[in-house]
Amino acid sequence: MFSLNKKKKLSGDRYIDQLANIVGTDDILFKKADLLSYDCDGFAIEKALPKAVVFPKNTEEVAALVKYCSEHQIPFLARGAGTGLSGGAIPLNEEVIISLVKMKKLLSVDYENRQAVVQPGFVNLKLTNSISDKGYYYAPDPSSQYVCTIGGNVAENAGGAHCLKYGVTTNHILGLEVVLPNGEVIEISENGIPDTPGYDLLGLLTGSEGTLGIVTKITVRILKNPQGKQTVLAYFDDVEDGSHAVSDIVSAGIVPAALEMMDKIAIEGVEAGAFPVGHPKDIEALLLIEVDGITAGIEEQIEEILQVCHVRNVREVKVAQSEEERGAWWANRKTGFGAMGAISPDYLVQDGVIPRSTLPGVLSNIAKISKEYGLRIANIFHAGDGNLHPLILFDSRVPGETEKALKAGSACLKACADVGGSITGEHGVGIEKKEEMRFIFSDEELEAQTRIREVFNPENLLNQGKLFPTPSRCMDVKKIVKDTVAH
Amino acid sequence: MELKELMNEIRVPNKAFGHNGVTVLTPTSESELSMVLRSAQEEGKKISVMGRGTKQGYGGGMEEYDYLLSLAKYKGIVEHTVGDMTVTLKPGTTIAELQNYLKEHNQMAAIDPAWPDDSTIGGVIAANESGPKRLMYGSARDLVIGLRVVYPDGSVIRTGGKVVKNVAGYDMNKLFIGSMGTLGVISEITLKLRPVPKYESLIILSATEDLLGKLRAFAVQLQDSMLEPASLELLNPTLSYKLLNKHAYSLLISFEDVENSVQYQENWVEEHKPDSTEITQLSLQEAKGFWAQFAANAPNSLQEMCDDAEIEGVLKLGSKNLDVFELIEESRRIQEKYDMKVEAHGGAGHGVSHIILKGSETSMKQAIPHIRNFAEQKSGHAAIKHLPFNLRSEVNVWGEPPSYFFLFKGIKAKVDPHNTLNYKRFIGGI
Repeated sequence: MFSLNKKKKLSGDRYIDQLANIVGTDDILFKKADLLSYDCDGFAIEKALPKAVVFPKNTEEVAALVKYCSEHQIPFLARGAGTGLSGGAIPLNEEVIISLVKMKKLLSVDYENRQAVVQPGFVNLKLTNSISDKGYYYAPDPSSQYVCTIGGNVAENAGGAHCLKYGVTTNHILGLEVVLPNGEVIEISENGIPDTPGYDLLGLLTGSEGTLGIVTKITVRILKNPQGKQTVLAYFDDVEDGSHAVSDIVSAGIVPAALEMMDKIAIEGVEAGAFPVGHPKDIEALLLIEVDGITAGIEEQIEEILQVCHVRNVREVKVAQSEEERGAWWANRKTGFGAMGAISPDYLVQDGVIPRSTLPGVLSNIAKISKEYGLRIANIFHAGDGNLHPLILFDSRVPGETEKALKAGSACLKACADVGGSITGEHGVGIEKKEEMRFIFSDEELEAQTRIREVFNPENLLNQGKLFPTPSRCMDVKKIVKDTVAH
Repeated sequence: MELKELMNEIRVPNKAFGHNGVTVLTPTSESELSMVLRSAQEEGKKISVMGRGTKQGYGGGMEEYDYLLSLAKYKGIVEHTVGDMTVTLKPGTTIAELQNYLKEHNQMAAIDPAWPDDSTIGGVIAANESGPKRLMYGSARDLVIGLRVVYPDGSVIRTGGKVVKNVAGYDMNKLFIGSMGTLGVISEITLKLRPVPKYESLIILSATEDLLGKLRAFAVQLQDSMLEPASLELLNPTLSYKLLNKHAYSLLISFEDVENSVQYQENWVEEHKPDSTEITQLSLQEAKGFWAQFAANAPNSLQEMCDDAEIEGVLKLGSKNLDVFELIEESRRIQEKYDMKVEAHGGAGHGVSHIILKGSETSMKQAIPHIRNFAEQKSGHAAIKHLPFNLRSEVNVWGEPPSYFFLFKGIKAKVDPHNTLNYKRFIGGI
């Protein structure tokens, strides 16, 4: 089936030759120079070279690669566009990287039943672009949507600014074809049929960060565009006023499509970045609020939002007057992380979640952390759903500052966990937040999760060393203490 | 603590549905629950788990277990953070109790399952129950943000959290939603809430049998418009006659939004309704009354069975959204072919249908495979949600397990290795 042109035998490594045999010699990288761009993903702090990178073109090739790796005990992992922010695609164990970027077809669209079927390498925004002429779109909109793949979105259970009203990736996945770590191909909820009897494997696989299987086909829900949309920009002189406005809007019974917040340092960053819109430099916080739905119902909700802002002492509040203006506000916001590069040599993105009502307290704790570590921290916040992105600004050229930034990031997550929040809302645990899992889960709870991994990935060859803290370190310590006490 | 201290009076469901227990236990705290499970696992006992007992006819199961564990007495709101729009509650709380409590704060749990007065939140989640408004709001998996689950060894495992967005670790909530109580006992639930819609309405579009195609075309047109219906539920003529006194297919179109938006959408429906269809607009109060009646319609295991020789059964079907029209239409053929009374409804925008059968034992045994075959031909599925135990043991309750059933077995073995909980109740006898 997979014939190898003997003349083109490229490497001295038996494994690599066999992998090349499966995908063809044009679709494998194994020379060090070629592997360098695969040594990390969007989390650039830890790096490691893969053994090889292979580019399968269909499910059969993925299955054959996985089967080969599994039979020969070679660690492997799947990678999409490599935009992940927690290091989920970094080959810590010299993995073979199975890149899915060549599986990038839109396989079918069924408008009547509101679903589309894509290959994992299909880019998120391309789906919306492919169906927008009929007035449809795909709702999850991570900021990297112009380049990130839907396969990667499934692995990370990606979110985005508009998830407040429409939910995250898991709420939009209807069916999956999956290559299990032993090479077996299964199809869950084929044709996107709801409530298939059995445990909810769709829900379990979505967000499993590529540790349970490799997704090779995805059925997603598509939505009709909202009839109308209005966007409000509000400037506050006081962060607390801004956060109270967030609560008041939600308490007024309004479900905005998006409700975003940026603090002073974040505003400084986006204004120095590629898409400035002229936000005043001296405000403490801004809110970007979008309401969508039936046009006839939007006006009164906007009125109510404006009123709330005035009650909360807004300095200035405006409604976008054109699609261009709205687009400019969103480009300014969506490129917010990257814009920090304009005001700092390096930055680390964090991703905590807090109950909305605890925002003022958490922000003041983050300010304390900033002071303690001597690093500036900007905050970009999906305020409506409590998902906070502290951006820790640092300079990796200064010895010790990278470590300091990592510690400050971890301290921010602790601040979120301490108010009953979570350590990640949409970026995933990856390698970055493995140890922080202990902030929110007990050893017993972590073990309950790794036991589930064993069902799918018993040999742990697939994306090993991600998502969970180093095994039972605490357990061992506890045991030693117990033993000592017993003596 | 002795197990017998946990025996309180509860309303015991009809024994004909199986899932009974030699001993009924009604814990009132998580620690009692944990103790029950731990000691049962240690002694090799089998437990049937129940809320208030509306779903004893759901799933395969056994006629009798060592214990019937009722969570009816373990109820109440644990925490409600109004500003965060989240609520944490105990599993025995009924849907009506939860909604009445939340209404005072102008909030709601966006789920509308059957029998709100008797269905408990724990049972609704374990059985993945939903209603017509699932179209707009999603199902249990879209609402649950955190659980506390007592594992069969008595340990308490938290899944998810109390925030509305969370991707830390595996999404373990999903494992328990719809697991039919076969993995653990849910001891606490955190839900994300919605504001009570400022305005709502219900429009019923009815069409005689020969015009069903027009209703279908209208449902397609409506969904391709920018309207945002909360429900788009199709009723067959038998159910439509019972609930609305109309011998016709009826499409329940509801809207929930601010008043201007709802009125705009109502006008759209009136302007675009197909010729020869009849439109009925219910007032807000009438609509509420109708939904209450709708939710109480199907039989459940707390009720006495009808005393004649006829048996009632309920099937839950999943299909592509618009195949709901053909599944509901098939109910007429079932009615005629097997001489049964067949009430059917399904969501044209979400693909979940219910068929309520009433007839002789023989008819029942023929109609069930007929319905399942029909659904499977359309790549859908059918499971029995309500049927007396003696009949359930003669028909296939869940349909054939999928090719990846070994994963279900693997999960069950990791979480409940001694088959302590709801043994044999779920697909493939897990």
